[in-house]
Amino acid sequence: MAVALSGATLPAVVEELLSEMATAVQENAQIPDEHLLSLKFIFGSSAVQALDLVDRQSVTLISSPSGRRVYQVLGSSGKTYTCLASCHYCSCPAFAFSVLRKSDSLLCKHLLAIYLSQVMGTCRQQKVSDKQLTDLLFMKKKQAVQKV
Amino acid sequence: MLRMAEALRRVLNLGSSAESESEYTAEAGSPLLLLGGPGSGKTALLFAAALEAAGEGRGPVLFLTRRPLQSLPRGRGAALDPLRLQKIRFQYPPSTHELLQLLCSAHEARGPAPSLLLLDGLEEYLVEDLGPQEAAYLAALLLDTAAHFSHRIGAGQGCGLIVALQIQEEGDSGEALQLSLVQRYFPAQCWLHVDASGPGRRCLRACLDPGGQGPRAEWWLAFRPDGEMTVTPWPAQAGKPSSDKGSSSEGQP
Repeated sequence: MAVALSGATLPAVVEELLSEMATAVQENAQIPDEHLLSLKFIFGSSAVQALDLVDRQSVTLISSPSGRRVYQVLGSSGKTYTCLASCHYCSCPAFAFSVLRKSDSLLCKHLLAIYLSQVMGTCRQQKVSDKQLTDLLFMKKKQAVQKV
Repeated sequence: MLRMAEALRRVLNLGSSAESESEYTAEAGSPLLLLGGPGSGKTALLFAAALEAAGEGRGPVLFLTRRPLQSLPRGRGAALDPLRLQKIRFQYPPSTHELLQLLCSAHEARGPAPSLLLLDGLEEYLVEDLGPQEAAYLAALLLDTAAHFSHRIGAGQGCGLIVALQIQEEGDSGEALQLSLVQRYFPAQCWLHVDASGPGRRCLRACLDPGGQGPRAEWWLAFRPDGEMTVTPWPAQAGKPSSDKGSSSEGQP
């Protein structure tokens, strides 16, 4: 049975790549070229865009006292997108189109940026109240993270 | 790591005698999608899983459905144990909006985290003109809510997730797309087929595909007129009348 795009897990080859990248980054604080090549091979242009988002520290992990978390990624257009922390969902149009409709991408650049910023350890952290987290998860149209 | 629908699996496995600890490992788990046409026993099976989980001595069970159950399915066993029933919390979000609110705010609730999250009738929430993004969002939020409960439970098996989805034979392409999107979020799936029915008696076949976490397995479920459910593993079903569309799955690894 072909491995269909999963909403919850990454293919083994991607898991391994991310794991190798994490190890290399711990030694060198940098992603080795060979890993960058692999990343581009697997993810195409999303890889470069995701790396750019990571460089600009665009990924924020938001948590509340309950322990529940959500990610927000500041896109290149200046818009902020919300991504779930436990499975693959992003509020951006590319996720709806390329991942869901056309099924030709595994992740959008924001979800990939989240994985990469975990590897690089460059995630911003932000605390909000439980109620604020509810609103963020609900992804109402007008969404902005209050800069503290 | 979300738990394989342990309760459902145990319900199905317990029907047989001499069942050694099954081939599935209990640690790693997946959310489970229960699929079947109308009257294929999804609600009854969901409720049986609820009773099973409620008897485990862990957290409560959260059972979400649009409309209250007309009658409580009997599940397995002679009588409904009131102590177990008490641990099943029913909530009835009337619309997709309310369901999303409930899931998004699940972390605000105090008290012990549920050990099992059940949703019956996902199709009733998907039908409200939901595009692919909204359908995926709903499925993903269900996973996220169960993941949060697992996090609150801490070490151990975490919170299981079983969602029942009614499918139509003659669904349109929009429904097919919604279904395939929902399936992406549920690695483990269990299909229910009506095999035979008579007055007051239903016979069903359940085919479980654990999505890479074990071999496929099938069971034969029978509901008696008094509501009691009996479960038998499919291969062991010797003297069964062969209405056999299922034999194609024999010989699966």
